[in-house]
Amino acid sequence: MQPILEIRDAVRVFKTPEGGAVRALDGVNLDVDANEFVTLLGPSGCGKTTLLRAIAGFEDLDDGQVRVDGADLRRVPAFRRPVNTVFQSYALFSHMSVARNVAYALEVAGVGKDERTRRAGELLELVGLEGMETRKPSQLSGGQKQRVALARALISQPKILLLDEPLSALDRQLRQQMQVELKNLQDEVGVSFVFVTHDQEEALTMSDRIVVMCDGRIEQTGTPREIYRKPKSRFVANFIGETNMIKVTFDGKGTATSVEGIILKVSEAAPAGRATAVLRPSDLTLSDSKNAPAHAILGKVRQEIYLGAELHYLIEADAGGEYWRVTAKDEGVGFHTGQSVALSYDPDVIHLIEGDA
Amino acid sequence: MWGPPDMKRFLKPGWLLLTFYSLIFFSFIYLPLAVIIIYSFNSNPMDMTSWQSFTLDWYRGLFGLAEVGPSLGTSAIYVESTDQLLKALRNSLIVATTTTIISTTIGTATAIAMTRFRFRLRNAYQGLMMMPMMMPDIVLGIGLLIFFVTLGFKLSLLTIIIGHCTFLSSYVFIVVQARMAALDPALEEASADLGANEWVTFKKVLMPQLMPGIVGGAMLAFIISMDDLVITYFIAGTDSTTLPMFIFSMLRRGVKPEINAIATLIILASLIIAVIGLYLRTRQVE
Repeated sequence: MQPILEIRDAVRVFKTPEGGAVRALDGVNLDVDANEFVTLLGPSGCGKTTLLRAIAGFEDLDDGQVRVDGADLRRVPAFRRPVNTVFQSYALFSHMSVARNVAYALEVAGVGKDERTRRAGELLELVGLEGMETRKPSQLSGGQKQRVALARALISQPKILLLDEPLSALDRQLRQQMQVELKNLQDEVGVSFVFVTHDQEEALTMSDRIVVMCDGRIEQTGTPREIYRKPKSRFVANFIGETNMIKVTFDGKGTATSVEGIILKVSEAAPAGRATAVLRPSDLTLSDSKNAPAHAILGKVRQEIYLGAELHYLIEADAGGEYWRVTAKDEGVGFHTGQSVALSYDPDVIHLIEGDA
Repeated sequence: MWGPPDMKRFLKPGWLLLTFYSLIFFSFIYLPLAVIIIYSFNSNPMDMTSWQSFTLDWYRGLFGLAEVGPSLGTSAIYVESTDQLLKALRNSLIVATTTTIISTTIGTATAIAMTRFRFRLRNAYQGLMMMPMMMPDIVLGIGLLIFFVTLGFKLSLLTIIIGHCTFLSSYVFIVVQARMAALDPALEEASADLGANEWVTFKKVLMPQLMPGIVGGAMLAFIISMDDLVITYFIAGTDSTTLPMFIFSMLRRGVKPEINAIATLIILASLIIAVIGLYLRTRQVE
């Protein structure tokens, strides 16, 4: 099946005030399938918003192509593109009622008043704002504005909905609720969503596929699990969730040694050479050093952080190096600062990023 | 919701001082206006500053409804000046209305262009837009006069309108630009995103959003144009006396009680305009 959105070798260069040039997009290739929820994830300045704006038509590409449904959108102005956007600031028209905001696309397209009222009502119901038709945007809460923006962007049944950090202005609780609602809404309306965020948790929660971007390039594309479990680079491993990363050398026989002398047991399939071993904090198990399992890392507790359901520990390995982060369930017994402990792990869950980098 | 006011708070020396200062301040601004209004009803024709009795004669006289008794001149002067007054008022209204329409259009368009587009010499252009505002009136007046004479313009209402537009466009520009700068650029993008071309976006989104600024700028332009004396004085033809020029020439023949009446009417007109403007603003801003 043909992807609904194809981006080919997209390049966008911005001039800096100092006379230099920044490649905001540096050869980006991306396909989005119909009905897919794709998240563009990366730190600020990585090009994710530029890419979104290029799809919407607010930004021209210096090179490359944006195709929607096979049609090249070069020189197609924003107002003729079959995509709609939910803006970070919501960009609701404050001089119009909620209903008129939602029906704006229909009003512009010359749809009759009765039909507009009916459709606006449907969309408001879809986002759970029945009865708010006559309100002004200034009379809505942040979450409600968000929903109006969504309804407004969905009313003309776009092929792709673009969302530019739409949840960043909401408080944490509302944000988590909206994440679930957004995902459900996407399933319901059957539109492809391209969602931009710098929040990795948001990306993991909602996406079918995550595109991690850095410096105008795509670092890795994959399902949330792939991105979390099998990061292709140190950048991705670092950006998605907390990580323990340690540079090691393999002997090719299932043993890896770090610069500090920590010895890790790894899968025997790993070839000899240098790599970075990635271990998530939840992959490590803490036990008392007196009955340490084989191949465990020995160390001392340096800090314990109690978070209710979870406990976070910082462990300093006896061999030195960076502190290890460990997450444990609160099972009544904790380990106190200064205590000698052993870190054990399943050799098969250690993810290896090959190479020196 | 509110409890009884805490009187002690208002009796503190700081509060008393502040209240006193406020009273002085507002008296300073509004007493001269109050004096004009009160003496416009004073029947003493010889000495305006001593109160005789209440009269509406000066108002009637303005509109030719009453022979105003001989004061310093003969009654013939007043009857004649009623026609002149109405003509001057008409001229001023023509000038102010036309100027407001033209300068609001130019100022608004410039403000939008300056905020939305980046182009070469943009800063220089911005500076040039501000210049007429900084320029002393008298310099602007002389400059315009020389300009018109050199180009062979006959001085008339048209030259006044052109002259006023040169600097009032700047005023509108400043006011609308402030509003424009505060506007979320995403509003226009959202409109385009939802299928509106630039004209529809301007009509349905930009104009309504800018309206408080446009109304404010237009009112400012209208009032300044109505009020201007110095620049107008240079570029008005013999046949195109405006209201401020008329009042000024009346004053030169001595301060007459009718001037109080004219001034009171102008104050009234300004108040009405201001109230309409405020009403429109509160309706637009939500």
